[in-house]
Amino acid sequence: MQVGILGGGRWGQALARVVMAAGHQPLIAWKDVKPPHLFPSSNKPPEVSERCELLLVAASGSLVRQAIRLAAPGPHNRVVVAGRGVEPGTGTWLTEVVLQESDVLRVGALAGPAPVEEILQGGLCAGVVASPFKEVQDLTTEALHCSRYRVYHSHDLLGVQIASAAVPVIASLLSITSGLRGAGTGLNALVLTRALSETSRLVEAMGGAPETLYGLAGLGDLLAVKEQDRYRVPRGERPPDGPVALAQALLRLAAEHHVEMPLTEGLEAFHRGVDPLEVVGALMARKAQPERR
Amino acid sequence: MSAHSATGMFTEAPPEAVAAEMERRVRRFLAELTEEALASILEEAHYLERKRVELHPEPEVEPLLDALAEALLKRDREAREAAALALTRRWAEEIHGAFSTSVYRFATRVLPTGVAGLIVPSPRRLRDWRPPSLEGALQVDGDFPFLQELAREATLILAPTHVSNMDSPLIGLALYQAGLPPFRYGAGLNLFSNPVMSFFMSRLGAYTVDRTKSSRLYKQVLKEYSVRLLTTRQHSLFFPGGTRSRSGGLERDVKKGLLGTGLTAWQENLEANRPQGEIYVVPMTLTYTLVLEAETLIRDHLAEAGKQRFIISDDEFARPSKVFSFARRLLELDGGVVARLGEPLDLFGNKVARSRHERGEQASHRMGFVTDRGGKVVRDPQRDRVYTERLSRALTAAYPGLTTVTSNHLVARVAWRALEEREGTTDPFRLVRTPAWRRVVSREELITRLRAAMGVAEEGAAAHRWHTRLPSTAEEALSEALTAFRRFHHSRALADKGNVLRIDNPNLCYYYQNRLQHLGV
Repeated sequence: MQVGILGGGRWGQALARVVMAAGHQPLIAWKDVKPPHLFPSSNKPPEVSERCELLLVAASGSLVRQAIRLAAPGPHNRVVVAGRGVEPGTGTWLTEVVLQESDVLRVGALAGPAPVEEILQGGLCAGVVASPFKEVQDLTTEALHCSRYRVYHSHDLLGVQIASAAVPVIASLLSITSGLRGAGTGLNALVLTRALSETSRLVEAMGGAPETLYGLAGLGDLLAVKEQDRYRVPRGERPPDGPVALAQALLRLAAEHHVEMPLTEGLEAFHRGVDPLEVVGALMARKAQPERR
Repeated sequence: MSAHSATGMFTEAPPEAVAAEMERRVRRFLAELTEEALASILEEAHYLERKRVELHPEPEVEPLLDALAEALLKRDREAREAAALALTRRWAEEIHGAFSTSVYRFATRVLPTGVAGLIVPSPRRLRDWRPPSLEGALQVDGDFPFLQELAREATLILAPTHVSNMDSPLIGLALYQAGLPPFRYGAGLNLFSNPVMSFFMSRLGAYTVDRTKSSRLYKQVLKEYSVRLLTTRQHSLFFPGGTRSRSGGLERDVKKGLLGTGLTAWQENLEANRPQGEIYVVPMTLTYTLVLEAETLIRDHLAEAGKQRFIISDDEFARPSKVFSFARRLLELDGGVVARLGEPLDLFGNKVARSRHERGEQASHRMGFVTDRGGKVVRDPQRDRVYTERLSRALTAAYPGLTTVTSNHLVARVAWRALEEREGTTDPFRLVRTPAWRRVVSREELITRLRAAMGVAEEGAAAHRWHTRLPSTAEEALSEALTAFRRFHHSRALADKGNVLRIDNPNLCYYYQNRLQHLGV
């Protein structure tokens, strides 16, 4: 099978490597930077859409719309977005961006730990593909599942996308709170578990499966980014725009679905310049709650 | 617009041919099942049918069930399929009923005038006599020329919201007024027990659906029947909500079983390369000033959760005289019923283009959703369920835009909101139990609230979010609503008590206001 990959960056190359390991032929569509010769590629994205039924979108959230416009996939394509949940700025789900910009209906999301350099060097890893379409799950599994990369599948597209969007938010929160004077492992554990818990409540309120948060797309990815020290917020600095934009998108959904997300609100407060100690103090002063609501 | 301008009248095959085709379809369905799935579906059918005939004895069915039980014990696939076919043959005959194309053609020409004659009040003096017409009483809106064009070149599925048992005959009349051909539709077997309704329904294209038969096998026979209709260019009407809205609110979730037969039929058309094989879905709403069954429906809605009856057989429809007296009173009201046909959608929930050329492009494009690269149709029921889910979302999104805000719904909404605020709760179960002396609102307060709500309603209508049929002042709207509420029900949703208005029947007030939940007032 020939598998199209939209985006020639390191993540696109890592996916191409996995496709090859699974015994298939990748075809990377690129625009500005040609990927190394090791990977078959084309600078004519529509040709890639024409030749490959399955397209994996390996562009960053802000570039997914442009990638889809360039590749112009059609009704016969299945498009799986391997990016982080929502489009910054608009807060639109990346799979929704695909639906808006093309005639494709069969979409999915690939999420989970993505240690790009490790994968490129042949390291072992796993991901989860989520789609309401069984055939999209099957096709993606066939394209990527191999001895180096395990693919799990799920119907919970919504849960996987929310989990994937929440990971940078939770990682940034952990980075800020662990840097606070007097903070220790206890606070880290509190932030980690309660942030996952509040996000799982959002997933449930929107009709997804809360346990998705504790799978590869949520907890799995979070462990990987913490190990890699990604989304680190230097002490005394405000969190960067990326995770904050994701937090804002999650908070909009939370308001629509009447879900409280005090920790995610906390990241937004740090961004506005509120003293982290003050934010943590307010969170600790909240009234006692049952563990599962 | 005259019905003569539209074609799309169908010719039904003779009963033997229908029976043969149904048998072929069911045979194919059974043959595709694994041994395990076949056993499971037949065991379920046997069990549920046995239980059903215990309650409603059917001596002719007993031997068929005995044969099925014997075949199930034998573990012989051929015997099992034969026993299943004998049972489904009986069901198919019942579903198809005594349909006759010639009677149907005659009935569709004369019945609209006949129905109008029955339900429009008779003139007091002979010289006032005019041919009966429902113009004014039944207002029908929509892009008729476009829909007529689609009815000629494709098969249409009409997907209306379901409010009352009067929906089907009124939709029949609305289609006639819109210059559209009649549609086939499934009507509950319980409705055929009313002789008057039965007369109209069977002659206007109804087929029989027995909702006491709940086995997967029966549902499959129904679906096969629906696919057969759609692949033979017979326009069909499905109520996607499945049953009448108990709360009075718009459908937010729809049943996908029959709706999904559209995709199956379309793929069969593609495989057989049938001309005029496209199938489009037309959302529709009916807005009633008064609903005959309102009291029964809302009582059922408010009954303990989970104990709602799917089939109500003892409601106001059980008495034909009541149906006609109600219909007369309803249709004396100018605009007593508003029927609105929306923009047609394809089976994936996308809007159908107005230009013929663009429609052609859309059609060749959408084939890609179900074919492989060689253009061959790939069957995938799971994929089709997701597509139908998408269509159902598009339908439920279209309904609010097709509603009409009328005085009585808006007045009920405003009075209910006042009660909610006064009692500090939105819980309907508590509110309907509020003592009568607390269910009052001053006329002044109601008029002020109504004025604001009318502003919101008109703004929304200007933004094409819904439609309105409201007088120019709040006072007139209140008077219109009070007249309507006085008209039929035993007790009133809202009654005039001088300086105050009282919610006499909180169930009814709650029912009528539910229609406008999407309004945000």
